[in-house]
Amino acid sequence: MFVNVYVNQPFGTIHVLICLIIMEKQAIIKVKHLAKKFGSFEAVKDVSFTVNKGDVFGFLGPNGAGKSTTIRCLLSLISPDKGTVELFGQSLAKNRADILKNIGSIIEKPDFYKYLSAQKNLELFARISGANVSAKDIAEMLDFVGLGNRAKHKVKGFSHGMKQRLGIAQTLLHKPELIILDEPTTGLDPQGIVEIRNLILRLKNEQNKTILLSSHQLSEIELIANRMVIINQGKSVVEGDVSSLLNSEETLVRIELNDAVKGERIIREKLNVSAVTQTAANELEVNITKKRVPELCKALIDADLEIHAIEPKRKLEDYFMKIIQA
Amino acid sequence: MKKLFLLAFLCFSVLSYSQTANAVIDKINAKLLAVKDYTVNANINANIPMIKIMPSNVKIYFKQKDKFKIESKGIVIVPKQGFTELNSFISNKSKYTAVFGENAVIRTIQTRLINIIPNEGAGDIVLAKIWVDVAKSVIMKSQITTLSNGTVNVDYTYGDQISRGLPSVMKFEIDVKKFKIPKSVASDINKSSADKKKASANQKTKGTITITLSNYKINTGLSDALFVKKKN
Amino acid sequence: MLLKNTYNEFIKIVAKPRSYLGFGALTLLIAIIIFAMKADGETIVSFITASFEQTLAFNGKLVNGNLIAFIILQMLVVHIPLLVALVTGDLISGEAAMGTVRMLATKPISRTQIVLSKFIAGAIYTLLLTIWLGFLSLFVSHLVFGAGDLIVLNSDGLVILQEADILWRFGLGFCVAFLALLTVATLSICLSAFAENSVGPIVSTMAIIILFTIIGSLDVTVFDTIKPYLFTTHMASWRSFFEDPVPYDSIYQSIIVLLVHIAVLIGITLYKFNKKDITS
Repeated sequence: MFVNVYVNQPFGTIHVLICLIIMEKQAIIKVKHLAKKFGSFEAVKDVSFTVNKGDVFGFLGPNGAGKSTTIRCLLSLISPDKGTVELFGQSLAKNRADILKNIGSIIEKPDFYKYLSAQKNLELFARISGANVSAKDIAEMLDFVGLGNRAKHKVKGFSHGMKQRLGIAQTLLHKPELIILDEPTTGLDPQGIVEIRNLILRLKNEQNKTILLSSHQLSEIELIANRMVIINQGKSVVEGDVSSLLNSEETLVRIELNDAVKGERIIREKLNVSAVTQTAANELEVNITKKRVPELCKALIDADLEIHAIEPKRKLEDYFMKIIQA
Repeated sequence: MKKLFLLAFLCFSVLSYSQTANAVIDKINAKLLAVKDYTVNANINANIPMIKIMPSNVKIYFKQKDKFKIESKGIVIVPKQGFTELNSFISNKSKYTAVFGENAVIRTIQTRLINIIPNEGAGDIVLAKIWVDVAKSVIMKSQITTLSNGTVNVDYTYGDQISRGLPSVMKFEIDVKKFKIPKSVASDINKSSADKKKASANQKTKGTITITLSNYKINTGLSDALFVKKKN
Repeated sequence: MLLKNTYNEFIKIVAKPRSYLGFGALTLLIAIIIFAMKADGETIVSFITASFEQTLAFNGKLVNGNLIAFIILQMLVVHIPLLVALVTGDLISGEAAMGTVRMLATKPISRTQIVLSKFIAGAIYTLLLTIWLGFLSLFVSHLVFGAGDLIVLNSDGLVILQEADILWRFGLGFCVAFLALLTVATLSICLSAFAENSVGPIVSTMAIIILFTIIGSLDVTVFDTIKPYLFTTHMASWRSFFEDPVPYDSIYQSIIVLLVHIAVLIGITLYKFNKKDITS
């Protein structure tokens, strides 16, 4: 809408470009040199990153890297010792209440008042969310996360997946601009993971929400995040667009075949590809452009090799491991 | 002969005194026995160390020989002894020996002390002293010492029922030395030990209960059923 | 936001099964006391009047609703703090134990408001418990035993109060008793801000009450200087309304000490909870 208005003005094209640049660069989260100690333990040493409006931002790091501490600092659960946190262009320390009105979050696992029903829990959180949430909104939200028929049931009888969905409902209830999800798929079954992934994509595509997503499921991040930061040992190591960091033209392919040695030789000689590694007795990993994958298959079959399996291997895993090990 | 005469005179004197004391008591008894029963309104005002109670109005019922009842709306404190015990005791002459004591003036009235010494096996009373207005045959003051309750002094003031020997005011003086507060029940933890010591040091040993009696209704024929104690 | 969250806090208290434990326990305890007094009240009262009854006779209905209400209050003064702490000691630490404190603290409500709303809700609960105690002890006792003058045994002797002179004393006595219980509630809320589980603050509250009560009841001059500043010293201050004359100065002093305790404890709670890193 904002863009359309400017298109009809004189010099519209220039304005559109300026506005697009402004929109893309509008920082929702700006963290600078964040540090936090618990006693003598430095949980976060120096973390900086920026999340722009409309991003699905992957927040990656191994266990104990300082992800949860950083996210808790963003939500004012923990006071940082050093550094600044700005959300929506405002200082969190000064405008906490105004900022939190526009944030929905799940930290680790959503915990609810077990002795209250799903509906009552949402009513409770809605009342202090700073937004006007009607009973109809709550009912619709419960339907949206598939808990419409369990609205009156006490949370103590809910499975982990149901609680997670209720957590999502609680997160979205007051229609926040920014959604922070810390390990939202932990403990979920495969179906639950897919549901959450689809939900995040819908929030991004249909509602243009900004999402900060911390997850151990690197494949999930690779599938849905457009930007990311990797932190390790309390420091941010890499930040940028997922596609440019991972070089989306190339893919890593894992091949299971009857003769890995012969296969490696064929790939090196016939396809002139040097990035091939034997990872097991009958397994190879090949770094190759996506366009040459059919050529790779044909060369192996022509050499009378039996291909038992061929699958793309997520590059993020590799990239992540390289960064962490470095 | 002179000695014999003196001895006879002394014996006569003692005998005549003894007879007089009994005669005085007889007159008192006669008055009291003429009152078969009575109902009287009473105001009880107790001023006893360690007990705080507001004055209260009650109704007292009495029927010879020792039926006694107090009807009150609330809680009242009365002396355990002194209402009926003395009258009941002096009415049975076989139980004691009465001997005149010294004269005394009580509230401008000349009285005669009679010491009443219980005979062996007479019961709880150890010694009773009554100061009697001989002219009007009424007890002006009594002092009863019992085994169980110590000494109780009673002052009697008479009004319009003096002719029947019924007082208008009875003032009991009570010994409170034996009063003790069970520690486990009283839990004033908001008082310091100094406060408690100060409180116990200030204790008086005597207390008074003044009963003002009015509107006697005498010999109305109260039934015995009135005096049967009801169970709560 | 404060009122909204107070409403939320009250909903939580109402929904928690443990909140009814206090009301249930009170009902049961009072029923037992009333039954015992009905069965053997005279003997229990004669224990009080025994030393006086050698010389004096107590005439009238000694065992009545007012006496039973007084005895109930006297006996339960040790136990009600536990029932209060059972709920209030859980108000902050319970959220930490359940993990809901994370959800709560990421909402646009200040931590000060969170603490104050919990305090208000805790105060309302304490008030309801006090009202329930008053209703059971006065109303039910009167129903079973009827009214009458009240005989009270203080450390300096007996006070017999007339029936018409009692109800206002109970009314004001309950107000001061509420203030004392509110101090207990605030103490347990304060301890709750330091803990991440429910049991710790409840046990600690009771331990502090027991310790201070023992210090208060020891007749040792050394403790006389600290006794006036212990809140437990003033917890029995409601009893002062049953003295004659009523020692208003000492009651005002107790009220001030209790209010200062409440203010200081709320201050500590606010400081701690505002500074607390929520890592649960």
